[in-house]
Amino acid sequence: MEKMKILLVDDEERFLTTTQKLLAKKGIDAVTAASGTDALEVLKHQNIHVVILDVKMPGMDGNETLKEIKTRFPLVEVIMLTGHATVESAIHGLKSGATDYLMKPTGINELIEKATEAFEKRQRLEEKIRLAQARTFMKSPREILKEAEKPDV
Amino acid sequence: MKSNPYGALKKTILTCMILVPFVPFILAMGIGYYNFAASLETNTIASMKRIVEDHRQMIESFLMERKADLEFILKTHGFEELRRPENLERVFENLQKTSQAFVDLGIFDENGLHVAYKGPFQLSGKDYRQASWFKAVIENGFFISDVFLGYRQVPHFVIAVAHADHNGRWIIRATIDSHIFNDLVKKVRIGKTGEAYLLDAQGIFQTDRRSGGILMHRDPDRPKYGPVHQGIKTFIETDAWGETFLYATTWLKDNNWLLVVRQEKADAFQALRRAAYLIVLTSVLGGVAIAAVAFFVTGLIVRRMQRMDLEKNQLGEQLIRAGRLAEIGEMAAGFAHEINNPLQIIKSEHALVEMILADLKAMGQLKPSDDLTDLEDSIDQIKLQVDRCADITQAILQFGRKGEPVSQNIDLRTFIPDVVGMVAKKASVHGIGIEQQLAVEIPPVHGDSRHLQQVLVNLLNNAIDATIARHGASGGEIWIESGPLENGHVAIKVSDNGSGISAENLEKIFTPFFTTKPVGKGTGLGLSVCYGIIDKMGGNMSVASQENVGTTFTIRLPSAG
Repeated sequence: MEKMKILLVDDEERFLTTTQKLLAKKGIDAVTAASGTDALEVLKHQNIHVVILDVKMPGMDGNETLKEIKTRFPLVEVIMLTGHATVESAIHGLKSGATDYLMKPTGINELIEKATEAFEKRQRLEEKIRLAQARTFMKSPREILKEAEKPDV
Repeated sequence: MKSNPYGALKKTILTCMILVPFVPFILAMGIGYYNFAASLETNTIASMKRIVEDHRQMIESFLMERKADLEFILKTHGFEELRRPENLERVFENLQKTSQAFVDLGIFDENGLHVAYKGPFQLSGKDYRQASWFKAVIENGFFISDVFLGYRQVPHFVIAVAHADHNGRWIIRATIDSHIFNDLVKKVRIGKTGEAYLLDAQGIFQTDRRSGGILMHRDPDRPKYGPVHQGIKTFIETDAWGETFLYATTWLKDNNWLLVVRQEKADAFQALRRAAYLIVLTSVLGGVAIAAVAFFVTGLIVRRMQRMDLEKNQLGEQLIRAGRLAEIGEMAAGFAHEINNPLQIIKSEHALVEMILADLKAMGQLKPSDDLTDLEDSIDQIKLQVDRCADITQAILQFGRKGEPVSQNIDLRTFIPDVVGMVAKKASVHGIGIEQQLAVEIPPVHGDSRHLQQVLVNLLNNAIDATIARHGASGGEIWIESGPLENGHVAIKVSDNGSGISAENLEKIFTPFFTTKPVGKGTGLGLSVCYGIIDKMGGNMSVASQENVGTTFTIRLPSAG
C-alpha cells in the first residue's frame, strides 16, 4: 500500500510547521509551500497525492493555484482551506475540480480525515487506471511499448 | 421645544391663499360699485333734467295758452261789446270751456277802471290805476302775476293782456285758479320723494310743496338755489329740515319763477345703496369663505408636509441604520476572517501541545501530579475557548456574508411547518407548545430558503429560551402566525409568553454583539443577522415586547411576483 503524501500550502509559516509536525506525529508524510508558485514547484519534483490549499493568499491565490494544479497535475487531489467568508470561493473551487473543502479553524483530525478520503479516492482512480492499462496490455503488447515510451503519469 | 419650523411656511401659504383671491375679488367689487354709482348718478341726473325740462315746457305752455286765450278774445271782440255784462258772461262761459283754470274775467279801460267783470266776486268799479300789474301791462302789453292774495284773500294769479284799437287802449284780465295750477305743477312724481314746486324770485311758494311748504309762504332754502341762471342746474343740497336732496332747477316766466324738482338723495340713489349693501355682504361672506378655505387647505398642506418630512426622516434613519449595519457587517467580516488565521494556528499549536503531552505521559516522562492535571485542564480550556472564538467568527461571517443568495419562491404554508418541526423536539422537552396559525391563502415569498430558515429558527430558539426563563419546564407557549397583508406583503409573527424584553434593551435588540445571555451562551449576532437577511429580502422586521408578558417579532416580506 502506497503511503499518503500531503502538500500544505498556506502563507502562514507557523501553521505550516506546526501542522507538519502534527502530521508527522500521526505518521503522515507532509511537505509545505508558502505560496502557490512554491506549491507548483514542489509538485513538479515530488509525487504528491493530496494538496491542502489555502484560498486566501497573497500573490497567486488558492483558486488560481487550483486551476494551475488541475491543468498540470490532474490526478492530484486538492482540498481547499477557507475562512467562512469565502465559502462561495470554496464552492467555486469545488466546481473547478477541488475534491473537498475545510473551514478555518480546522482541527487536525478533521484535516487528516478529509485528506485520507481524498487519498483513497486517488487510490481508487489509480487502481482503475492500472486495470485499464492492464486490459490494454492484454490486447496489444505494442500499445504497452508505446505507453512505456511516454513519461510516467 | 424649538419653534415650529412650519409656522413661517404656514403663514406664507395662508397669506397667498387669502390675498390672491381676495384682492381681485375686492377690486372687482369696488370697480363694479364705482361704475354702477357713476352710471346711476348720470342716469338719475339726466332723468331729473328731463323731468324739469318737460315740466317747464308744460307750465310755460299752460301760461301761454291762457294768454293766447285772452288775446283771442281781444281780437275777436270789441271793447264796447265786452263791457256789456251779458256779452262778457257768454265770452267767459266759452273761456271756461277752454280751461277750467279761469276763475273770472274782467275788462279795464286805460285808466285802470274795472269796467266789466264776470266771476264770483263783485269787483267792477274798482280803480286799479295804481296796481303794479296794471302798470306792467300798460308797459309790456301783457302781464302774468305772481301768486298773491289780492282783495279776495284767496291765492291766485292773474294774466292780463292789453289791446289798442279805435276806442283806445283797454285791457282784459283773467284770474287763474291757483289750485288747478297748483295741481298741474305738483303732479310730478319721481320715486317716493320726488316733487316739483314753483317759487317766485323772492322765494315765495307759488305752488304747494308735497313734503311741506305752503302756498304763499317763504321757502327758507331759497338762498341755496342761487341767482337766476340759464338752462337747468342740478345740485345736491341739504334743506332746512336736514334732509339731503338732489335738486334740478330752471327759471321760467322771464326769470320770475323758479321751477324746482327735487328728490331725496337716499331715495334717488336707493338702488345704489341696495347694491352697496349687497356688495358689502358678498365681500364679507366671500372673505370669510376664502379665509376658511385657505385655513383648511393650508392646514391640510402643512400636515401633509409634516407627515412627509417625518416619513423622510424615518426613512433616512432607517437607511442610516441599514447602512451602519452593513458597514459593521463588512468590518466584522473582515476582522473575523483575519482572526480565523491566528485561530487556525492556535488550534494547531494546541493539538501539537496536547499530542506531545500525551506522548510524554505515555513514555512516563511526566509523573501524574496536581500541576499536570492543572496543565491538562488549562490546555482543554484553550481548545474550548478557541472553539468559542470560532463560533463567534462564524456567526460574524454569516452576518456579513456576501454573494448572491440562492433565491426561489418559498411557500410559507409548507415552509413554516418544516421549520417548526426542526425545533419542535427541543420545545417539547421543555414543555413548550408551539401553535401554528397559518392563513389558507398566503402568497409565496421570494428569497433564499436557508436564510429564511435561519431567521425563523433563530426567532423560535429565542422564544424557547425566553419561555424557559419565565416558566421553567411547563407553561411556555409559542405562536407562529402567517398571513397576507395589504399591498402585496406577507407577515410572519413569532410570539411567546416568555420573560419579555425591557424597553431599554428593545432599542438595541438588532444591534450586532448585543446580548443579554450569559457570557459564552450567545454571540449577540443572531438577531442582527436575521435583520440583515430580512432587509436583503426587501422586508422589514420589528419587535414588540412587555416584560413578564411576552414578545412578538413581526416580519413583513414582499410577496413574490
